[in-house]
Amino acid sequence: MRLNGLAIRHFRNLGSQDLELPSEGVALIGDNAQGKSNFLEAIYYLETFRSFRGARDEQLVAFHEGVFRVAGTLQERDTGRSMKVAAAFEKKGKRKKVSVDGAEPDRMGDVLGRLAAVIFSPADVELVSGGPRERRRFLDIVLSLSEPGYLTALQDYRKILVRRNASLKDGQPSSVVVAWDSGLVGSGARVMRARRDWIEQRCGAFRDYYQEVSGGIGAQMRYRPSVTLADAACKEDIALAFRDILAASGERERRMGTTVVGPHRDDLLLRLEDDAEGLDLRAYGSGGQRRTAALALRLVEARTIRETRERAPLILLDDVFAELDGGRRERVLALMEKEEMGQVVLTSPKESDVKIRKDSLPRWRIEAGRITA
Amino acid sequence: MSVIERLTGDFARLPGIGPKTALRLVHHLMKGSKEDTRRLSRSLLDLSERIRPCDVCGNFSEHELCEVCSNPRRDGTVLCVVEEAYEVGAIEGTGQYRGLFHVLGGRLSPLDGVGPEELNLAALLERIRRSEGEIEEIIIATNASVEGEATAVYLDQEIRPMGPRVTRLARGIPVGSDLEYVDGSTIAQALAGRQEMSI
Repeated sequence: MRLNGLAIRHFRNLGSQDLELPSEGVALIGDNAQGKSNFLEAIYYLETFRSFRGARDEQLVAFHEGVFRVAGTLQERDTGRSMKVAAAFEKKGKRKKVSVDGAEPDRMGDVLGRLAAVIFSPADVELVSGGPRERRRFLDIVLSLSEPGYLTALQDYRKILVRRNASLKDGQPSSVVVAWDSGLVGSGARVMRARRDWIEQRCGAFRDYYQEVSGGIGAQMRYRPSVTLADAACKEDIALAFRDILAASGERERRMGTTVVGPHRDDLLLRLEDDAEGLDLRAYGSGGQRRTAALALRLVEARTIRETRERAPLILLDDVFAELDGGRRERVLALMEKEEMGQVVLTSPKESDVKIRKDSLPRWRIEAGRITA
Repeated sequence: MSVIERLTGDFARLPGIGPKTALRLVHHLMKGSKEDTRRLSRSLLDLSERIRPCDVCGNFSEHELCEVCSNPRRDGTVLCVVEEAYEVGAIEGTGQYRGLFHVLGGRLSPLDGVGPEELNLAALLERIRRSEGEIEEIIIATNASVEGEATAVYLDQEIRPMGPRVTRLARGIPVGSDLEYVDGSTIAQALAGRQEMSI
């Protein structure tokens, strides 16, 4: 997808602007705290209808304003077909309105991922150094956007999980608690299978990306499900394994008052390939190694978009080169040139950091939220 | 508070009625004949004083037994379990069901503090036990929500050891609808539950 036009109204400090984006992309240069990340946040909002920085919608509305609105005109590269995606949020009443070509979808899940965008941000390092929750969130976003049925299964799973936990906490007899099991196991197995398949199919790509950026050793990503899957192949086998473990942890979950096994306890292991053991990047990785692993995860995400949605992804780079050493920076740039990327929108405080696409990106400047070509 | 305000407030508490509609209803009643309004108020009184749950199944009733339970021509070997009494009407409306009902008065909903104790469940089990095998099939017609599903699983667990066959309403494409407009998870359910063509 190519983002041709963007109309912003009162999104953070960006005021009211109508912009036409060049087809190859743009490099946005500006000092700190001028609104560079806000600009990318506004674009990416059209992909998932929430802030990539985890901000609440209320926080996205400019001070002294009641409503923000972002509308993008997208164009399919092959067919030239265009589409308009818009999102608005009203602070009072907390109402969100999303539309595609003017029509409101029945469910927001139906219109996620229209942009086919990936955002690279300095905060991505949290994917590697943060807790398992960060990595599950990453998997959930990637899979919700690429795997049909994943989001529904995940939402069902969460719904059933809170209810099952409430009856555990309430001290209900086990005959009542297990009434939730078949729903939990069914939706949970779908979530686990999708996570496992995605990780297994892409661990090679992750390894290669890591190695290319680091210029040396590689790294692995492995699924660490909370339910031991052994060689459970199909969804039914996974469900059986889940059901067994659930049954076996009855006493422990009763004591804890919460469901102790299931995909809500999954993790994605990231390890260096330096020796047989493989050092956990979360615990032992250096700052640079973690940033490299985070970058590799995002590159795998972009590849997933290319493969599952057959589109060149729109790449959003939020000042990501600043913290990489010179060598890594060069290699990331080389990698991005080589991969089939679509439009690139990048931000940086310095002109010198934007030499992507053979330094051909048009420069825009931003000052106090105001963007000028 | 004036009569008009009070009645408007009362109407506005009803489901689907906002303050504007409530006021319109009040105006309509004031303009209409006094006899109509009296009849309405008598109906409301009767509703609160004469409608009670059926002693056997929990359905709305004017007597100890509801119209279904007191009808000797109903098939006593099949029992359809629904969450709420108004759902009896939905199934009766089909004209296709000749068996009896049992109203749970809700569903397992731990977030609202509703467990088996809060449901009309002991009476159901007692009913099955006392029928001594006469009840052959229990049709579970709880909703297709996560709570309705868990309630169905729970009922199945409890009832099956007592003997009757336990069945569940089929889920899938609404009759007369275009596939194009049916949501994905419904189609997925319908695919999973597809059946051999039969004449």
